[in-house]
Amino acid sequence: MSIDEPSLARLMAASQRGDRTAYRALLGDCRKWLERYFARRIAPHQIDDLVQETLVSMHRKLATWDSTRAFLPWLAAIARYRWIDALRRQRDEAELGDNDAAVGAEDEAVHARLSIDHLMTLLPPKQAQAITLVKIEGASIAEASRICGQSESLVKVNIHRGLKKLAELIESE
Amino acid sequence: MKDASIDDLIDGLAGELTPVRPRRIVRGSLWVAAGWLAGAGMLLWLYGMRHDLAPGGMPPLSMLAFWLIAATGLAATWSALRMGLPGVGRDYSGWRWAGLAALSLPLAALVVGLGDSHAAMEAMRHGYGPRCLLQGALSGLGVGAALFAWLKAGAPTSPARAGWVIGLAAGASGATIVALHCADDGLIHIALWHGLAVVLSAIAGRLFLTPLLRW
Repeated sequence: MSIDEPSLARLMAASQRGDRTAYRALLGDCRKWLERYFARRIAPHQIDDLVQETLVSMHRKLATWDSTRAFLPWLAAIARYRWIDALRRQRDEAELGDNDAAVGAEDEAVHARLSIDHLMTLLPPKQAQAITLVKIEGASIAEASRICGQSESLVKVNIHRGLKKLAELIESE
Repeated sequence: MKDASIDDLIDGLAGELTPVRPRRIVRGSLWVAAGWLAGAGMLLWLYGMRHDLAPGGMPPLSMLAFWLIAATGLAATWSALRMGLPGVGRDYSGWRWAGLAALSLPLAALVVGLGDSHAAMEAMRHGYGPRCLLQGALSGLGVGAALFAWLKAGAPTSPARAGWVIGLAAGASGATIVALHCADDGLIHIALWHGLAVVLSAIAGRLFLTPLLRW
């Protein structure tokens, strides 16, 4: 079933009136849309968590959708907010030196790379390289340090700054 | 495993659904208007209104400054209200243009001050300058509280920007209220002390409200 704007808007309007059947259908459609949205933006193993977080946020902020406006831009704004939040959490983890390897199907990983690659071009090369190695390709801080020719602490700093910049770039879109 | 947990989540969320009343900007605007009236009522009740507010009574420069600051406050308020109802592609930048236009006040004051340093020193030395600053910052709290409550219940997707804009709206609202009381028509006084209330409120909004607006 295709997910089209008028159907989603109708389901959302019914959901705001308390129609649980419409709401269940809406959440199911949103789930599919969100899985595609995040597939191009974050490591595959994080997608499910992010979809769940976004559905919960959507539930909490149900009253903020204005029925005179389109539904998908509203959903995308909430999804983007949760995505930035996830990037911030990664940034904080980077300070602790956590390794966040990407796992899962090659295809999905490639899709995730496509969008992230575009954003990486907007970062200083050393920050982009550190994030790519550790956060996308799954290298450890020590391995990234050897590959980049930077100290481990510098790799962590570059990941931290890069993720912060990345969040700002997305937020300012 | 994950699929099952998302299905469970969807069932749980659908099960606890209750009707919600969609948030309307008109309702938020009424809160803000009430906040402004509360601030204005309090200040003018405590300290009184300037005597020349009747049409044609207020000097043109003070009138111009009042409307410039009011426009900034209105633009910031409008942006803050819109930030509560998110949507990718929506433009929230109106407050920036009004804020830039309002910068003409301090710029003009700087030029005047450079040409007449005595007037500038007098404006800075007046004891009631800091009082105007304090009154401006406090008078805007009603508008600030209304916007904060609106955005706290809304979904601002950039809490940092929302903090700035709430502070700017509150400060500019406070400055318009002070302008109804303060009888000093000097450009340097208005730009320095009334303008400082706007700037400091914006900084306070960014520092103190941003963490509270995350959701």
